[in-house]
Amino acid sequence: MRTDELIAVLAGAATPVPPGRAQRRLLLACLIGLAGAVFLVFGAHLLPAKHDFAEQIRTAPFWMKPAYAAWFAVGAFMLVDRMGRPGAKPTAGRLVLIGALVAIAGLAAINLATTAPDLRMHALIGRSARFCPIAIMISAIPALVAVMIALRGMAPTRLTRAGLAAGLLAGGVGASVYALWCRETTAAFVAVWYTLGIVAVGGVGALLGPLVLRW
Amino acid sequence: MVRGLAGEAAAYAELLTLMSRYFRGYFGRRLGAGAAELEDLVQDTLLTIHLKRETYDLNQPFTPWAYMLARYKLLDHFRRDRARTMVPLEDAGALFATENAEEGAVRRDLGKLLGALPPRQSQLLQDVKLTGLSMEEAAAKSGMSVSAVKVSVHRGLKTMAKRVRDADG
Repeated sequence: MRTDELIAVLAGAATPVPPGRAQRRLLLACLIGLAGAVFLVFGAHLLPAKHDFAEQIRTAPFWMKPAYAAWFAVGAFMLVDRMGRPGAKPTAGRLVLIGALVAIAGLAAINLATTAPDLRMHALIGRSARFCPIAIMISAIPALVAVMIALRGMAPTRLTRAGLAAGLLAGGVGASVYALWCRETTAAFVAVWYTLGIVAVGGVGALLGPLVLRW
Repeated sequence: MVRGLAGEAAAYAELLTLMSRYFRGYFGRRLGAGAAELEDLVQDTLLTIHLKRETYDLNQPFTPWAYMLARYKLLDHFRRDRARTMVPLEDAGALFATENAEEGAVRRDLGKLLGALPPRQSQLLQDVKLTGLSMEEAAAKSGMSVSAVKVSVHRGLKTMAKRVRDADG
């Protein structure tokens, strides 16, 4: 086919594209991932059921965890959106991510400073330190799959970085849901173990990126 | 691009034509002009622009976006090329026998320019410059004097050259 013929064909097929369609698909992927995580954490009977929801919901530390994870997810979402668009600069998403890290690090510092020295180790490790990052990674699996598919439908050109961003987003989504189940209450715990879990998902994404994001 | 995304076919075609020219240069510089796969890559990139057009963000400049797609296609091409086996020398002639799409484009442009001239002048130009008749033969064919043919051909070339300059400028 000659190039000018191809152009004519493509121009003939130039149906209007509503702005923001790619973002909406990415958002849909996040919602699917969110639903998947809710199922894994609360529906699949992998974890013991929770009965003290009502009383926990009224405490501020309970909300701190999903707020941090969701904040992180928002930054990663902006990052993924940029990574799916060739030539776009990911500055804004990066700033939001750094903001989330700074905020949780600040809270953790205050948390540790106001804790009696012999209780600090407990605040940091809590009761589920070893379990938490793994649970976050498992909660993130549905979101990772959905986001990877959505991102592949966009046009990522740097596959490792795009995979990393997708992993961070999935980790943030998974952690937001797991946080509702988690019983830890200290900011120090969240700063270390939640971040570790989310970043681990990011690492998985970065490894998978070049393999699955090629289009 | 903005208008193309809104579904305006004419503006979109214009953009794609322009980009195809840029991409031909871009790939030509990297693969050597006249490489057999050049036009394939150009077409592939245009198709990609079309298929991935929703990933173009209206707030971002268009050109970097388009060139990143071209770059991705080029890397893709290298990756595939590496896996391809060598062609034995006896069969290598087939590699050079491909039709040059560029030539087709030139012929098309020429036809357009000739079509814009008066029919008699256009016929004379084709006889003299393309078919290769002598001035005398062309004069005998058209029934004009030899000097009139010379003048007409000369003016015709001048008009065409002016059109090309105007279109470029």
